[in-house]
Amino acid sequence: MAKSLFGALVAPRIPFPRKGGRGVRACMHLLAAVALLASPAFAKPQRVVSINMCMDELVLRLADRDAIASVTWLSQDPRNANMAEAAKGLPANNGLAEEALSFHPDLVLAGPFTERSTIALLGQVGAPVVEFGVPETFDDVRRQIREVAAVLGEPERGEALVADVDRRLARISVDANPSPLKAIILRPNGFTVGPGSLVDEILRRAGMTNLAARLDVGAYQQIPLERLALLDADVLIVDSEGFEAPSLATEALSHPIVAALSRRMKVVALPSRLWTCAGPALVDAVRRLAEATADVEAGELRK
Amino acid sequence: MSGAFRRAPVAYWPFVAALGGVALVATFASLAIGYVHLDLAAALSDIAHGRQSLPALVLVELRLPRAALGAVVGFSLGLAGAALQGLLRNPLADPGVIGVSGGAAFGAVAVFYSGLAGAFALAMPLGGVAGAVVAALLLYALAGRGAGTMTLILAGVTVNSFSGALTALALNLSPNPYAAYEIVFWLMGSLADRSLPQLWLALPLTLVGWALLLTSAPALDALSLGEDTAASLGFDLRRLRAQLVAGTALAVGAAVAVTGAIGFVGLIAPHLLRPWVGHRPGRLLLVSGFGGAIILLLADLAVRLIPVHPELKLGVATALIGAPLLYGLIDRMRREA
Repeated sequence: MAKSLFGALVAPRIPFPRKGGRGVRACMHLLAAVALLASPAFAKPQRVVSINMCMDELVLRLADRDAIASVTWLSQDPRNANMAEAAKGLPANNGLAEEALSFHPDLVLAGPFTERSTIALLGQVGAPVVEFGVPETFDDVRRQIREVAAVLGEPERGEALVADVDRRLARISVDANPSPLKAIILRPNGFTVGPGSLVDEILRRAGMTNLAARLDVGAYQQIPLERLALLDADVLIVDSEGFEAPSLATEALSHPIVAALSRRMKVVALPSRLWTCAGPALVDAVRRLAEATADVEAGELRK
Repeated sequence: MSGAFRRAPVAYWPFVAALGGVALVATFASLAIGYVHLDLAAALSDIAHGRQSLPALVLVELRLPRAALGAVVGFSLGLAGAALQGLLRNPLADPGVIGVSGGAAFGAVAVFYSGLAGAFALAMPLGGVAGAVVAALLLYALAGRGAGTMTLILAGVTVNSFSGALTALALNLSPNPYAAYEIVFWLMGSLADRSLPQLWLALPLTLVGWALLLTSAPALDALSLGEDTAASLGFDLRRLRAQLVAGTALAVGAAVAVTGAIGFVGLIAPHLLRPWVGHRPGRLLLVSGFGGAIILLLADLAVRLIPVHPELKLGVATALIGAPLLYGLIDRMRREA
């Protein structure tokens, strides 16, 4: 009784990537939007509203500050977002259609987890919405940066950002590691990240291989600590430095066995803000992991 | 309700010992069987020699707390179910169904998300106990003194939905944006990835709760003859009520704070075992405790062995068994009435 009631009250919007379909649909939306906007030259939107945390970051990096009407409340928290400093002082929204409309936007940027009803509602009142998917490779990341830059009417800034990412990525050159370290990721709520996600490529570029590929888990699945412990990995990547607010989700990360494992394998803390969204922070994630790889190789910790 | 099965009561203490033995076997099975095969002999010899091998770590840090908590929490739920059924003289009284677990969950959640849990270690179990006390008192005020089944269930629905609403409110006010998401999983109840410190936190409160409940056996037997008779036999009913409410709150509150709300165990165990002890509520206490432990341990083995991904939550498994039973029970009581 209580459970069903409870489920209805707090039906979760699951904040993690799902596979398939999204990318294609995002592209279709994008084409439509680009066709709309692509009158003679890109008219630069002047009142951009982002209702997705990942879009916030790109908008803050690519658009003129004067052209940004609002970003989400999530981006104002430095533990959560890389551009919190820039987001401060901008009006925040909670991703609701009504809020977005109150800014009279000439462009609304939405992400893959925006409520369908919100998108539908915005579409009904004629607000120009562009949806973007979850990038699954670095190529997707480059494409997404360019696409967002295009709808913002700032293609040069998009190119510059992509060039910056590529230049910094090239400096970290461990992607040809002949015998990669075995790594496994432990995220809040005991989730691990499997193959077919951007994280997989981040690991590869840092000279690691994702042990989750050996388990029968999808792109994003819960993994019992018992199974994780017996994988005998070289590197355990935990998603720490998260919220200071109490969180049951991080209980698994503070389980005594994680402390015990840290004496047997290298534990790397990687805050999720570095590898959640398409952007230059991904390079920082690769660098941190590459440094860990170097540490392990130097210290002969590997098995 | 008593007319359905009548079985010649078996000898009491041998029966208790047999159930205790089965519970012990189930606990060892829970140690030995898990998600992955573990070489128990190697793990035990590593532990004996003080080697921190992976199998030894998994056995001590993961399997041991899980098995022990399964036994302890199951015992608490079965015992509390039997005690509540004796107190309210109603076979539908289960800590989950009538809202004591819900109240405990609210107490634990409020303590956790307010940050109090970080302040001192016992805060979360104590929060669970406080929530359970409030729920049990509310319930007793509404449905005590031999109220009918309908009143009891309605009172339970009220307490349950109110504590559910308060839990949702606590989550709304939490500064953690993912609180609602993680609590949905937690409220389903689970023994996965629990730790030894959590066991040590819950155990003292639980043991006090057990003592309070188990020592109420003679009074519960007397109470089954009616309140006036029990009073004339020299039992202080007000003291009995306080003892049972406190005992249930301590046992269930501490359990829920560690494992989340696991429903129906307190309903199934007394129901299955009542005919074996001659329908005496006092004798039902200890056997229901062991019965609850066995049920919970077996259900926990099942969720680990059934190859469903993501894994079935323990509370979901017990509800799948318990809810049809509750339905059947209500149906039978309605026909007999």
